[in-house]
Amino acid sequence: MSNKNSAVHAKKAEIFCRDEARVDWHSKALWTVREKRDRAAGSLPEWEQLRQIGSEMKLHTLTNLGLYLEEFEKNCLENGIQVHWAKDGAEHNRIVHKILADKKVKKLVKSKSMLTEECHLNPYLEGHGIEVIDTDLGERIIQLAGQPPSHIVLPAIHMKRGEVGDLFHDKIGTEAGASDPFYLTRAARAHLREQFLSADAAMTGVNMAVADKGAVVVCTNEGNADMGANLPKLQLHSMGIDKIVPDLESASALLRTLARNATGQPVTTYSSFYRGPQEGGEMHVIIVDNGRTDMLKDKILAESLKCIRCGGCLNTCPVYRRSGGHSYNYTIPGPIGIAVGAQNDDTNSIPWACTLCGSCSYVCPTKVPLDKIIHHHRRLKAEAGKLPYGKSSYMPLVGNFMASETMLNCSMSVARTALKVLPGSLLKPFSGAWGKYRELPTAPNSSFEAWFKKNRG
Amino acid sequence: MSSKDYILNALKSSAIAPQAMPVFNVAPRIDDLVGQFETNLNTVAGTLHREGGLVALQLKVDELIAQGLQVISMVDGIKGNRAVTDTAHELRDIDYAVIPGDLGVAENGAIWVNNKNLGHRVTPFICENLFLVIEADTIVANMHQAASKVTLEKGEFGTFIAGPSKTADIEQALVVGAHGACSLNVYLV
Ligand code: SF4
Repeated sequence: MSNKNSAVHAKKAEIFCRDEARVDWHSKALWTVREKRDRAAGSLPEWEQLRQIGSEMKLHTLTNLGLYLEEFEKNCLENGIQVHWAKDGAEHNRIVHKILADKKVKKLVKSKSMLTEECHLNPYLEGHGIEVIDTDLGERIIQLAGQPPSHIVLPAIHMKRGEVGDLFHDKIGTEAGASDPFYLTRAARAHLREQFLSADAAMTGVNMAVADKGAVVVCTNEGNADMGANLPKLQLHSMGIDKIVPDLESASALLRTLARNATGQPVTTYSSFYRGPQEGGEMHVIIVDNGRTDMLKDKILAESLKCIRCGGCLNTCPVYRRSGGHSYNYTIPGPIGIAVGAQNDDTNSIPWACTLCGSCSYVCPTKVPLDKIIHHHRRLKAEAGKLPYGKSSYMPLVGNFMASETMLNCSMSVARTALKVLPGSLLKPFSGAWGKYRELPTAPNSSFEAWFKKNRG
Repeated sequence: MSSKDYILNALKSSAIAPQAMPVFNVAPRIDDLVGQFETNLNTVAGTLHREGGLVALQLKVDELIAQGLQVISMVDGIKGNRAVTDTAHELRDIDYAVIPGDLGVAENGAIWVNNKNLGHRVTPFICENLFLVIEADTIVANMHQAASKVTLEKGEFGTFIAGPSKTADIEQALVVGAHGACSLNVYLV
C-alpha cells in the first residue's frame, strides 16, 4: 500500500525523538503497562501452558482454515446472521457501504477495529455521505484530532491530557483548560451517548469468531461495542479470516490471556458473544482476506496470523516505546505491525525498526515468533534488492549478509570485536540514526546463538 | 469466481504443516471459589455482597426508588419502579438495572448474563449502574469451566461482565464509568 506520508522509519522516529521529555514519558507509560502484564501473567501458574495451548490451537485452526470458515458460515446462516466475503479492503468497503446504503443509514457508530483501519473504511464511507463515529474513547480522541491510532489497544497513548482537554474544548465544548481525565471521560460519555442513541447502525471488529457456534466475540472495557450493537437494529462485524477459532473452549482459553497480556486485567470488562441479531434486527459478518492468504503461503510469515492483537509486543518493544506508533508507515505499529505490514512498506525500512532483542516473542500469548519473522522480512527485502535508503549506501554488503546465515553470524562477531577494540567516536557514525542519541552497547563475549548452543541447546 | 471461492482456493496453497488441536487440560484452582471471585471482582472495580441476599438487595432498591431514581428489575423477587420498555432506546434514563447472572468465574470476577434475562440486550450497558445477582454455587474456577457451562443457543446473545465499564485512554489514568454502567454491585444468593 503506498502511503502519501511515507518516510523511512528512522526519519519519522527522529521527529518523535525531538521532544525528549515526551519520549521518556511515552516509554515509561508503556513500560508501566508491560509491568502490569508481567504481574497478571505471573499470577497464573499455568501461564506458559496457556501460551502453548494458544499457539497450537491457532496453528491448528490456520492449517484447517478453509474447513473452519465454511463451518462458521454455515452456522452463522442457521443463526440468522448474513455472511459476506471480501478479497481485499476495497471489496470490504463496498460491501459495508451497500449494506448501509440499502438501509439508508446516515450515522454509523463504530467500535475499535484494526481491520477497518487497514481497509481505510472511515474515509470511504464519509466520501459516500455517511457519518462515522468512532466510539472507543481513545479512537474518538484521535478521530477528532484527525490522526491515525498510534497503538492497537491504546490508540491515543501518544497524547497528553492537556492536549485532549484542548481538543475536547474545541470539538465537544468542554471547559477551556480542563485536563482532568475523569472530567474529560465523563464529557465524552455524555457526548457519545447521544451518538449511540441516534445511530442507524453499529459496526465492530471481531476478537474471535467461533466456528462451531456461528458466533462472534467482541471484547471492550468501555462497553462501547455493546452500547453500539445493541441499540440500532443493524449490526455489522468485520473480521479477518485469521479470527476464527474452533469452539467456545478455544475462545475462552484466549480470553484468559488477551486482557492479561494487553493491560494486566484478569479479563476485559465485557466479552460479548453474538450468536444472532436482536429481535427484529439484522446482523452481518464480513470475512476479509486482504493479503492474509498470501502470508499463509510463506511458512514463517504465516505464524503472524496467530496474533490476537493484545498489543503486548508493542508495550515491551524498546524501539516502539522510543519512536512512537506513527513512525511505522503502517496502521499497526510495533513488532506485530512489522510482521504483517512490512511487505507493503514502500520505504522498505520498517523491518529495521527492531533490535531483534526478542522481548516481543517472549511476551506473546500465542507465541508468534516475531523476531524470527522480522529477521525473515529483512532477508526478503535484501533478496528483492529493496534495502532502504541509507542501509544500501553505507552497508552495501548487508544484502548478502542478511541472505546468508553464516555471513550474518560472522558479521555479528566482527561487530562484537569492533565494539571492544575500536573507540566509540570512530564507530558511532556507522550506527546510523539509532546511535545518534545513544551510547554504543558493551559487546558480549559471544553471540546469543553461541551462548544458547552451549548452555541450553 | 466469487470472493469466497477465491479465498478458499488460495487457502489450498498454505505452507504451514498440519498441527493437531491441543488438549486443554488446565488444572483449576478450586480452593475458596467465593473468596477468589471476590478478590478478582474487586480488582476489576466491582463489589461483592455476600450477606443478606435478595432481602438486602430489595432494601437497597427501595432506598434508591425513595430517592426518585429509576430502577428496572429482571430478577424474580426484586421489585423496581420501571418495566421493560417497548424500545431499547427508552431505557436511556435507567439509573439502576437488576439482572440475574447465570454463573460467576472465580479467576477473573466475570459473570455470564444471557439475553433471555435482559429484556432488551442493551439493558446492562445502558443503565447508569448495575446490580447482578448470582447463586453462590454457580461460581466456577476458571474460563475453561465457564465455557462448558454457559448457555448460548441459536440466535442468542450472552456476555461476560467483569466490573463496571472503564477506560484508561487519557494518559493511562483509570476512569471508571465509560459508556457502560458506572458501578457494579454483585449480590450473592
Ligand atoms: S503478536 Fe502476540 S503480543 Fe503482539 S499483539 Fe499479537 S498476540 Fe499480542
